[in-house]
Amino acid sequence: MGSLHWKDHWNTRRDPFTTECRDGRENLLTDLKDPKATQQRVLADIIDICADSLHWKERGYDRVATDPESFRSVLPVMRYSDFSDEIDREARTKGGVLSCSPVLRWLKTSGTTGTPKRVPYTLHWLLTYRIPAMQAMWGTYLEYHPEILAGPYATLDTQTVREVVDDYLHGVRYQAVSNRYPQINSRDWNPPWAESPWFGIEAPSSHSGRMYHRIRHLVGQELQFISAINPSTILALRDLVAEHGPALVRDLRAGTLEGRPFGEPDHETAQHLEKVLAMGAFTLTDVWPSLKLYSCWLSASAGLYQSKLDAVLPGVRRMPFMSCGTEGVTTIPVDDSADSQPLAINQAFFEFVPADVPVDELIASGGRIDTLLFDELEAGRDYSLIMTQGNGLYRLWSGDIYRVDRIVDGVPWIHFVNRFGIFHSFTGEKITEAQFSQAIENTREAHGLGNGLYLAGPQWAEVPYYVVVSETDDPRPELDSALSDAVDRELQEINIEYASKRDSGRLRPLRVFTVPTDAIAAYTESRRHATNATQYKYKPFQQDADFVTDLVSH
Amino acid sequence: MIDTKRPPEDVRREIVMLPHDGEELALHIWRPQEIKGAIFYFHGLQSHAGWLWEVGPQFADNGIALFVLDRRGSGISTGARSEIPGVETVIADYVTAIEHTRRTIGDGVPLSLFGHCLGGSFLAALLHHPDFTTRYDSAVFCSTWLGRLHALLGEEERAALAAEQSEELWDAGLKATDFTDNPGYQHFIDTDVLAVRELTRRSRATLLGLERLYLEPQRELPVVPYVFASGLTDPIVNLDATHRVFTEMVSGRGTIIKFPTAEHYLFYTEARRSVVDWASAFAILQDPDRHV
Repeated sequence: MGSLHWKDHWNTRRDPFTTECRDGRENLLTDLKDPKATQQRVLADIIDICADSLHWKERGYDRVATDPESFRSVLPVMRYSDFSDEIDREARTKGGVLSCSPVLRWLKTSGTTGTPKRVPYTLHWLLTYRIPAMQAMWGTYLEYHPEILAGPYATLDTQTVREVVDDYLHGVRYQAVSNRYPQINSRDWNPPWAESPWFGIEAPSSHSGRMYHRIRHLVGQELQFISAINPSTILALRDLVAEHGPALVRDLRAGTLEGRPFGEPDHETAQHLEKVLAMGAFTLTDVWPSLKLYSCWLSASAGLYQSKLDAVLPGVRRMPFMSCGTEGVTTIPVDDSADSQPLAINQAFFEFVPADVPVDELIASGGRIDTLLFDELEAGRDYSLIMTQGNGLYRLWSGDIYRVDRIVDGVPWIHFVNRFGIFHSFTGEKITEAQFSQAIENTREAHGLGNGLYLAGPQWAEVPYYVVVSETDDPRPELDSALSDAVDRELQEINIEYASKRDSGRLRPLRVFTVPTDAIAAYTESRRHATNATQYKYKPFQQDADFVTDLVSH
Repeated sequence: MIDTKRPPEDVRREIVMLPHDGEELALHIWRPQEIKGAIFYFHGLQSHAGWLWEVGPQFADNGIALFVLDRRGSGISTGARSEIPGVETVIADYVTAIEHTRRTIGDGVPLSLFGHCLGGSFLAALLHHPDFTTRYDSAVFCSTWLGRLHALLGEEERAALAAEQSEELWDAGLKATDFTDNPGYQHFIDTDVLAVRELTRRSRATLLGLERLYLEPQRELPVVPYVFASGLTDPIVNLDATHRVFTEMVSGRGTIIKFPTAEHYLFYTEARRSVVDWASAFAILQDPDRHV
């Protein structure tokens, strides 16, 4: 089975990792006890790391260094796109423009316009915020379930990956936040399993290939914990066992991995797996009877997966994943609550605006935006989030909307509700209306179809997908097929998260159905009469796929 | 000395714009919480401070504050691109930036001057110019062909070049493959939007004038350690020729050191860590309080 170095690494890192994570959790709990002082400390730290940056000096923002209370009146609320010029400059200098910390890598994530965002990953952000957040969350996992470090095979971590990066911005690596390769320094994320053969750079980079390696290494072992971000990843794991079961059995019997030498033949596990596969509707606990725990997002739309998770993980306990994005961490779990977590009080300087305030319009018009601090929120209300992060992206309105569930010891416990402008997100792809429109319009133009009405919606299924009904002069199944392929491809080009989910089999291919010209107009008109006649209007983006049944006859 | 028993430094990276003689000169700084030594770096013809995104934090993690001036017209400094102004302007810019550096770090911190490639020729010229009076504690010439134009051009050609006033562009002919064999760095060099790849012909007259300052020296250099560093070989520098000039310039007091690479830009090779660690220790060891 090759080098056993990874087991040495696991044994060497186990205790320090436990200590680091427990310290991270303790620090968070301490900060949650004095939230006001913590927010003041975070703001002071951010001002300290940013005040001497070129951008702050050029705009005169550095004057808040002597008057932190003026922060909200001096610096404007920003959209990501408002930082575009400064990010261009920061990419060339690798620090010193937005904050006084070296940019070590650039984080890539989907943008609303189809161009991936560039989020600076600075040394100060790594040391002071991002890694401590990971440690605090895993500290909670360890507090509740110390068995996840029972042995080198106890945990399957799919939250992060280690993949060779081949994309660069002016020489600096440009990669997903979940890719932790290469390790930047001794304080960078370094769990005991970092060198495990199913986790490292030797594992295939394709999602299915990597998952197969994970399963091959872990089947027959005492796996206790599966950790993911999206619930769909866990469901896909079960599907992959089903799809590749016969190959797994062959590899187990032969002592191979995809036909290559791996270790001793394992007839006992092969026999067990064969029995499981023969059951048909097997669960992940059938595959791994030792499985005790899983973690992933559990609130908001992710909660829609709960019944499916219950089906494939019967009797298995669960822990939540933090609320976070590439731009920063918003909540960190401190217990096993599935619905809500405390605001990550030591991760950023947080401001809020009631969700019905049109923040984007106010930013565009230069209108006044009055924000609330964490201690001014009310339970039961929804708020848009504005974050100032230690990487220099200040007062960033991301469009994320959170609901305050309750206030505990002065700290709001919140959960993510939705994102402004997002059409839909089954599993983190966060497709915007603009992205979907662009994909459809590009496809129609490429096929010489000109403009036409269309309806689009999410189709829930075992593996969900998107459906589109589009008007054309010549509707026919062959055209449906061609347009389906083309729109799917366009959407993958425009939204890298959609591409990732399609690649990993967590989303099925999008389907397009063509209908005669005016069919959608007539359908819309009929709906007008059926509902409120004054308020109903053509809305291309639907919240379900009911329109397909109503419109499609072939 | 370098503290190895501690977490990584939370290095600060700052850019100070120095107004001088009608332009805004960008002085880039990577500095640790506690400065044990400082290096002022002279970049070459094509590069600028943005090339040092890995080197700067590594120096600072060793306790070294690294200062890099984007030369007038280079990097993010203002000034005409592809143009090196007259000798006196070049010298005055560096005098200003190094005076600022010394004021920033204070008198008690050892300051090492480090010139890479053409930057080494700028450094050698500055050391011999009467306007440069800031105290420095050591100097390193790295992969520099000292006296290159004098070595390659005959007397008549040099006279013609010295009289050159043309604004016509001259292609330096530098290839990324001359700098490094690492494809990632090569791609960066080839696509760097801030890189200078051409010079006006009259700029080359300035380069010749700068060489004269140290080939025909008008003053003695202070007795501080001088080192010439390079790879084992260098694809664009005649090491034998430059070693001779170096040895004569420092009156036989210099040290020659070679790192295990055959590439030109040591910071884009496997030798980077060794070069940074050696240069850090070398700079710190010149602390004025250390002499016994």
